[in-house]
Order: sequence, then C-alpha cells, then structure tokens
Amino acid sequence: MADTPAQAEPSRRADPRVLEMLVCPLTKTALIYDEARQELISRAARLAYPIRDGIPVMLPEEARALDDDELRHLGKK
Amino acid sequence: MTPEHDIFDRRLLVARRNRAADGAADHDFLLTRVADDLMERLGAIKRRFPVALNLGAQHGVLGRRVRQLPGVEFVIDMEPAPRLLAQCEGPRVQADEEALPFADRSLDLVVSGLALHLVNDLPGTLLQVRRALKPDGLLLAAMLGGTTLHELRTALLAAEEELEGGASPRVAPFADVRDLGALLQRAGFALPVADAETVTVTYAHPLALMRELRAMGATNVLRQRRKAPLRRATLARALQVYAERFGRAGSRIPATFEIITLTAWAPHESQQKPLQPGTAKTRLADALGTREQPAGERARPGGSRS
Repeated sequence: MADTPAQAEPSRRADPRVLEMLVCPLTKTALIYDEARQELISRAARLAYPIRDGIPVMLPEEARALDDDELRHLGKK
Repeated sequence: MTPEHDIFDRRLLVARRNRAADGAADHDFLLTRVADDLMERLGAIKRRFPVALNLGAQHGVLGRRVRQLPGVEFVIDMEPAPRLLAQCEGPRVQADEEALPFADRSLDLVVSGLALHLVNDLPGTLLQVRRALKPDGLLLAAMLGGTTLHELRTALLAAEEELEGGASPRVAPFADVRDLGALLQRAGFALPVADAETVTVTYAHPLALMRELRAMGATNVLRQRRKAPLRRATLARALQVYAERFGRAGSRIPATFEIITLTAWAPHESQQKPLQPGTAKTRLADALGTREQPAGERARPGGSRS
C-alpha cells in the first residue's frame, strides 16, 4: 500500500468547518473561497480577506480591495 | 464607521497586546481566574454545546479549557492581535470583536474572557453575538466593570488636578453591572443575568501595579488620552496619593478589579417566558390573601389631602 502523499501541513490549512461558518464581517454576506489565492471574497464589500498560515484574517483593513474587472470575473465562475 | 467618536483606540489596543504577547502567559492571573470561574458555571449547565467560539481569545487560556468540556466538540479562538492568536491552539480566526465574521445561527456557545469592556459599541457587539448564536445558544462572558482600578483612577485624577490644574482620562470607563442586563435584553437575549464580583489584588507598590498593567497590554488606549507621557512630578504625586488614601497597615496597596459575568440565551420557544396578561389561573388577591378592590374604585387614601 502506498502512503497517501502528504498534502500541505495540516496546521497550515484553514479548517473547512471554520470556512463554512464565516461571513463578511461588514456585510454578513456569504464569502467565495479562492483556494489558489487563499482568499475569502466578499462580493458585497468588494474585499478579499486573506488566509495566512491557515488563519482567516477577517479584518477589513487587512483585506484587498477588488476592482470592477475582478468582480466581473467572479461572476463568470 | 466614525472612529473619531470611539472611546477606545482599537488599533492601539492590538499594538499594545502584540507587544505584550511574549509575556502574556506570565501575567494572566486575572484571565486564568475568570476562565476557571466561567468553566465552573458551564459545568453546572447540563447541556451540550457542539460548536463554541472564544471571543477575544487573547492567548487561548479560556479556549483551552472549553475544549476539555465533554459536550463541546469544536472551539474556535477569535482574537484581533495576531501574536496572541499565534499562541492559541486549534482552529482560529483573526477578527475584531466589533465586527463578527460568523454566519447567523452558526454557534451553540460564545464564551469571552476580559474582552468586552474594550469594545466601543457593546450593544452592537452583543447584537451580533446573539444573531450568530443558534436558538437556545448561550453567551457566557466575563468583562471588567465599574469599580475596576478606581484607586488608580482617583490617584491620577487628584495628582493631575493638583499639579497641572486639569485632568485627562487615564483609566477607562467601565460599564455598570446595573446597565448590562438591560443591554442584553435590548440585544434580543432571553433570560439575561449580569452579576458582579470584586477581586482585590495587592501590590508592594503602585508602580508594581502599573508595570503589571503594561505587561498585560492593558495600559491606556482611550482615544481622548493625553498623548504626552505622564510628567515625572505628577506620577510621583499620584503614587503618593495612592499609598496615602488606599495603602494598608501592612504597607501593601490594593487594586480593585470588578468582574462582571454575563449569562444570556438566544431566544427559543422551550424557554420560560412571562404569561400573556389576562391568562392568570389564580387571582392575585387570593395569592396575597387580601380582598380585591373593584377596578376604578380608589383605595381609601391613608392621609387627607387638601
């Protein structure tokens, strides 16, 4: 039996149970999880909250502002 | 968002907490005491709380304890200061107590140790907590109240007034236990209770108290604080006033911490409620063993009025 290849270090990954419960702290609306960029996107607040070392940082002042292009792109996903 | 109206500078608070983070575990006697008390209260409630949040987790003292409870499956530590959050174990979220990032009805239990007295908008925070709780979910929170550090407040005010002809706020205003029950009710909680306990800690000298407050990351974060440091002479006079007015025979000085504990439930139909008016099954007069006065007829006044 081959060992399952180790994924990212467990402590470095955001807990899926936590991600399921999170909403945008400003608008309380649902978030889109961008796994590749490790961001939680609030369409309503036009913000992308970072996940650092597996810890969601739900602070508007730490979030990245989204421009119109990015928001449009999200719509197609 | 109008930070200029805020009482507390939350950014400064996070900076102070981060700076004190390395030594946090050496100066957490108050938080440890609070955490033990909250655990005792939780232990007396025969209910399961599968999903719990530790609000304003600091370095995880309370979260670690709650994780040990048999009816609790999952505890999230939430704290705005990253260097404190790094010391927590298990799932974590970096967020501000004033802007909760949790979905409505997602939590069975919210605990909080010594965090809520530093939020600017307590009614708003309580409302967000209530909404994030599932029906019949519990908020159990300990915060500092009214008489906390009243000795230090008095000493600093007296010294500043005496030597500088005016005073500036140096010790935070704390909520009064009498107001908190009403605040919980306004936030939509059922069965709210706020009780207070006074803890007196003694120090060899007022300076030792001030050093400890600094080590706890608990120094002045009031927005209206005077930005210039306390003058040497004023500090010296404050220390003198402190010892003179509050010092004890044994020469140690006391420092008061009032701990207010909030217990409140998100409403649920199974909870006891007052009956609708007019649905009583027993007459009040019978219960009191007295004769009922017909409505509209005045009881005879005891004294005469001209």
